[in-house]
Amino acid sequence: MTPATSVTRTPEFTSSLEQGLSNLAEYGYTVVPGVITGDSLKRTRDAIYRAAEDDRQRQRELPEFALDYGDPTTNQRIWNVLSRDPVFEDLVEHPMAMEYVRNILRWPALLGNLSANICGPGCAGGYLHADQTFLAEPWPEAGPQGLNCAWAIDDFTDDNGATRIVPGSHLLNRAVRPEEMATDTVALEAPAGSMIVFESRLWHQTGANTTTDKTRAGIFAWYTKTYVRTQENWFLSLKPEIQQFGSDTMLTLLGYKSQGFGLINGQSPR
Amino acid sequence: MNTTDLKQQLTEQGFCIFPEVLTGAQLERARAGLQRGIEITRQVMGSTHIPTLDPNASSVRVNNLPAMDPVFLELLLRPDALQAVEAVLGSHYLISNFTANIALPGAGPMNLHSDQALVIPSPWVHPWAINIIWCLDDITEANGATRYLPGSHRYQSADQVPEDAFQQTLPFEAPAGSFIAMEGRLWHTSGQNSTEDQQRRMMFAYYSADFIRPQMNWSMTLPAEVQASLDDQARQLFGLSPAGNTRIGAELTRLPQTP
Repeated sequence: MTPATSVTRTPEFTSSLEQGLSNLAEYGYTVVPGVITGDSLKRTRDAIYRAAEDDRQRQRELPEFALDYGDPTTNQRIWNVLSRDPVFEDLVEHPMAMEYVRNILRWPALLGNLSANICGPGCAGGYLHADQTFLAEPWPEAGPQGLNCAWAIDDFTDDNGATRIVPGSHLLNRAVRPEEMATDTVALEAPAGSMIVFESRLWHQTGANTTTDKTRAGIFAWYTKTYVRTQENWFLSLKPEIQQFGSDTMLTLLGYKSQGFGLINGQSPR
Repeated sequence: MNTTDLKQQLTEQGFCIFPEVLTGAQLERARAGLQRGIEITRQVMGSTHIPTLDPNASSVRVNNLPAMDPVFLELLLRPDALQAVEAVLGSHYLISNFTANIALPGAGPMNLHSDQALVIPSPWVHPWAINIIWCLDDITEANGATRYLPGSHRYQSADQVPEDAFQQTLPFEAPAGSFIAMEGRLWHTSGQNSTEDQQRRMMFAYYSADFIRPQMNWSMTLPAEVQASLDDQARQLFGLSPAGNTRIGAELTRLPQTP
């Protein structure tokens, strides 16, 4: 199917914030390579695979997820990742992620969710969608109301289930129509340790894993404007030590430091 | 009121008044509950004046009403109130806040605003919030009735608000025990209490579409015994259930699968 937009080029990887913001405006996304490396990448990778294994051993996986199709056991989703290991706190408030959040969403912003998926051999991929479909159209002209910072924990490749996107589709400023589900997409190929930043209007989907032996883990930090209700209800599910030890930035992202919404007796909870 | 008429009024006017739904002992219970709330607020918070909202201390504000007295839970969940809420928001909504504003003699007005415009970027095409305003006294222009700008619920952006907007506002007048259902896009402000001896007690039960974050953090602010008293419907309306902002995403499962 013909791409929905005229943007057929893709941006090069960049570590420059200025270039990254320009890529977000033009393409709806940008890839920052090598944000976590070496030991910290290894610790993060170990922690997410351990959480996945624990869920599987203890039969705590959700049976299915609305945005996936095919055999649900080939694409394992891990929820409430922030409560699983302290190493994930470092991703949520990574200075580079915060730069993009502050520039695109302004501050304060909220963390709506921190989830992961591990797409294994046979994973059929997911539905093409934009993340701000919670808003009925017309969408605001003011720009995106949310932002994903997706962390490639393994190399993201065309054949192992890399997230696929429609470059420039954010400029349509609307959701995917049912007849557009087969729109041409490109794989977001990125080496492990990259942070892929994409805004809430960009059309994307989980790719298919056509390998026989590779898994592809990604961790998705979803940030929003402060009026949007978080997907994860932190006040029910977050482990208490983060309330105790979390930085001001973390507590703001989780709604424990707040203005206008999420108040207690008219004031910020902390 | 039948649902068709209710929807028509809310669509055309942006508001609808349900006269005298609380009478006699019911009205007295609500007044007594509010008095308790005022006393608790003075003890706990030290003051009922919120300088960021009101010009002087003659505007008395009470937050967190559902924590103060069971009568407020009853009001929030009354079928007639929820009928008005659902006429505007459909079936997917949350309780966002429930506060009181008492205008004593000398109370001055807030700035003109629509509740939706304060937090949601334009265009404001759909109503995503509604106030159910409980009137505990006869509400008159003289004692500080909420003032609304007729037709302003159709404004899609701030540049449609006329320069003399305040001069065009009209008071919501209603007898004690009434509630006024006012959708989130209608521009309004509190009035001025120019009487010498009347208080004007109003309580604002605010509901919003379920993707919008509630103003109050009910998980942390409702006392444990109040949370324990809630049935499943009430828990869901306060956002205390595990369900999050995933309803619309889940509906994508109905879309056809890519070949």
